[in-house]
Amino acid sequence: MKQPDSIVYVVDDDSSVREAIKSLIRSVGLRVETFGTAQEFLKSARPDAPGCVVLDVRLPGLSGLDLQRELAANGSNLPVIFITGHGDIPMSVRAMKAGALEFLTKPFRDQDLLDAIQQALERDRGARQQRSETAGLRERFDSLTAREREVMGLVVSGLLNKQIAGELGTSEVTIKIHRSQVMKKMSAGSLAELVRMTEKLGIPAAKDQPTHTKS
Amino acid sequence: MALLTFVCFRLGVRAGIAALLYLAVVVLLSGTDAFIPSVIVSVIAVLCLDYFFIPPIFSLELNNPLDLVALVAFLGTASLITYQMSQRKQAEEALQKLADELELKVQERTAELAKANDELRGEIAERQRAEEALQKAQVELAHVTRVMTLGELTSSIAHEVNQPLAAVVTNGQAALRWLALETPRLDEVRAAVERVVRDGNRASEVIQRIRALAKKNPTLMVSLDINDVIREAILLVQREVSSRGALLRTELASALPAVLGDRIQLQQVVVNLVINGVDAMASITDRPREILIQSQPHETHEVMVAVRDSGIGLDAESADRLFNAFFTTKASGMGMGLSISRSIIMAHGGRLWASPNADHGAAFQFTVPIDGGAAS
Repeated sequence: MKQPDSIVYVVDDDSSVREAIKSLIRSVGLRVETFGTAQEFLKSARPDAPGCVVLDVRLPGLSGLDLQRELAANGSNLPVIFITGHGDIPMSVRAMKAGALEFLTKPFRDQDLLDAIQQALERDRGARQQRSETAGLRERFDSLTAREREVMGLVVSGLLNKQIAGELGTSEVTIKIHRSQVMKKMSAGSLAELVRMTEKLGIPAAKDQPTHTKS
Repeated sequence: MALLTFVCFRLGVRAGIAALLYLAVVVLLSGTDAFIPSVIVSVIAVLCLDYFFIPPIFSLELNNPLDLVALVAFLGTASLITYQMSQRKQAEEALQKLADELELKVQERTAELAKANDELRGEIAERQRAEEALQKAQVELAHVTRVMTLGELTSSIAHEVNQPLAAVVTNGQAALRWLALETPRLDEVRAAVERVVRDGNRASEVIQRIRALAKKNPTLMVSLDINDVIREAILLVQREVSSRGALLRTELASALPAVLGDRIQLQQVVVNLVINGVDAMASITDRPREILIQSQPHETHEVMVAVRDSGIGLDAESADRLFNAFFTTKASGMGMGLSISRSIIMAHGGRLWASPNADHGAAFQFTVPIDGGAAS
């Protein structure tokens, strides 16, 4: 269970609860940071590492639900596990709808919290990996020249080299060179992989292009 | 009289001596409050003198005109003495009567005064009874409103107890996990168990506070640190305040003189004022909801506590009626909180008043006299 690189953030205004949860999470070898208020947590500099937030619903000032909203608005994808002293059903519904991973009522079973934390960390790790992959893709895509991007758009639309050459008014050999350049720069092993990459990048395939070719 | 006449006659006393003796009898008689006998004796004495002592003896005839003069003088003297004596007697009697009347009047007045005194005493006793009854009623009302307040706070107080209990459970679980490690971390176990003890005590303390508030106790005036009272009250309302999205801050003056008061009742006032402040902030969204409790010395013989909120503040109309019983601007609540708070503070010899804050919201302030015995 050792993942020294991941951090669990605990936000609870009650210092007793905070200390207890901190000790429990540390006992399974995880790193823990605690905060007494939502503002304190928002202000803190969080290292770039997989993490999750264990969040008390009712906090003085900014509430747990407010903090959840705030995090989402800031583009933070930290998974949230809510803990509450009140068995408040409408509130838990709101929290879950807003994307909370778990909603636990104090006192909770330790295993329930630790399971939820594991799940949350895995989810964040996955999401981070995906984000870094997308970022890498974006970087590679950005290294393409304007012409190469054009060619790539037509390639993933399913056009043959000849058709692309006709489309762009150039020779098939030139397109071949551009195409191999695209595959190399994007480090795509196959056309199928290149298609998936453009999907991930959200680049629309130039599908309408083949319909009005110059024949 | 006859005896005197016989003895004098036998001894052959002279008429002058006999007359003196007779006069003595008259004086004695008139002195003993016998006017008529004294007159009769005077006349008989004249006759006896004439008959037995003035020649010719055994006859009422008077040969010597001087004897007649002497007799008349005797009668005159006797009459004068009798008259004077009776006059004196009468004067004495009148004086006596006056004295008696005065005595009677004094007695009457004394009786009246005593009666008035009794009545006053009765009234005072009555008033004392009424005051005691009022005080008892106030203590009971304070208790009832206290229990009602506790009722309103049930959910947050339950949370206040649940919180340390949750910490106890989690610490216990953590301790077990630290123990279950391949090499058990006894330092962590010890720390967790110490927290268990601390939090268990905290939960128990909250319950003790509630029990003290729920109990109906006669007023018990003791020397108190008002800051302790404030801190104990905060223990009960902290959760309610934060669960309603407000922050509670304190600015408590250190080394305040001790006040003389009833711990539970003063706690109740602080609780009431804080809840009142939180209620006043329910609709506030454009600024932080904040309760600030301050304590400070006031004048030379009082301590002042202020509970400030950042709520809707006071309007002039409400400010007048704020402390009336059953006056409330809230949908829930009986409107007893401020009214009972004021009567508690007044019973302590202090004042409770409200004023608007400089920026937002209202301040409720009260004073409590310091404990003279402890202050010295």
